[in-house]
Amino acid sequence: MTDQALITQFQSGDSKEGAFTQLLKRHREPVFFQIKKMVIEHADADDIAQAVWIKVWNKLDGFKQESAFSTWLFRVAYNETLNFIAQKKRIKGHAKQQQLEHSMEHPVAQNALKETAIQIKLERGIAELPEKQRFVFMLRYYEAYDYEKIASITGTTVGGAKANYHQAVKKMTELINNA
Amino acid sequence: MEKESISKELETALKGYHAKNSQVPEGYFDQFEQELMRKIHAGATAPKKAKILSLFGAQKKYLVAASLILAIATGYLFYDKIIPNTIAQDELVQIEALPDAVIEAYINNNELIAEVDWNTAIETTGVSLSLNNN
Repeated sequence: MTDQALITQFQSGDSKEGAFTQLLKRHREPVFFQIKKMVIEHADADDIAQAVWIKVWNKLDGFKQESAFSTWLFRVAYNETLNFIAQKKRIKGHAKQQQLEHSMEHPVAQNALKETAIQIKLERGIAELPEKQRFVFMLRYYEAYDYEKIASITGTTVGGAKANYHQAVKKMTELINNA
Repeated sequence: MEKESISKELETALKGYHAKNSQVPEGYFDQFEQELMRKIHAGATAPKKAKILSLFGAQKKYLVAASLILAIATGYLFYDKIIPNTIAQDELVQIEALPDAVIEAYINNNELIAEVDWNTAIETTGVSLSLNNN
């Protein structure tokens, strides 16, 4: 059954929960991991992902299927993630500082994962990227989404998405070369 | 593909980043689904919260303007009606409280002044009449 058919089923009210659960099972992992790559902390990613899917449940009746469901879903995830990061920055200060503190507080975990100095530096570098650049980079590099879809998700132009991706790569390359 | 423009070192580091952030506890997604559906059902059965509307939101400036107009109007009415009455009452009380001798003296003095005024007026009129006759 396609996403479109499941959405139509949901919107008709016929086995609403069944259709939603199917969509959830199909898309929950890529959405969750995209969020996790943005916020690192598992608990934070869990909170955001829950909020994303609750929003999907509440808004799916009004979804007109003018774009693919996955595009719409990632747009919801993008907005929720950015809202969360902004809120957390307001509460606890700059994200860079948090990331640094987190890395310092978890040396055992770092050793367990056998992270190299380059990897630690990369993590910090990724945390320093502007949120939009980071989100675009993750979608392009790990999910292999095309720029049209990324532009639609992040509410930018294709050129803007390309620029975001290349700037992110440039910054990370410089970081690695200086490691 | 853009991945090809990425250096080997960066690619290796990004693989490590991916590995680290692609781990979840066992059975996590099943629990995630259960927790999500529980929240959705709780949200569906919970009574809808009444929307809170602020009385002093958008109309604040109009309320302030109306208050000022009311304050000015009330102040004007008080000044116009209450204050003159108070003065008249004060004068009345003062006259009543005056001894008779003072009142008589006041009347006598004013009569003299009135006579002087009348005399002056007659003289002035007489001069003007005689000038006209000439």
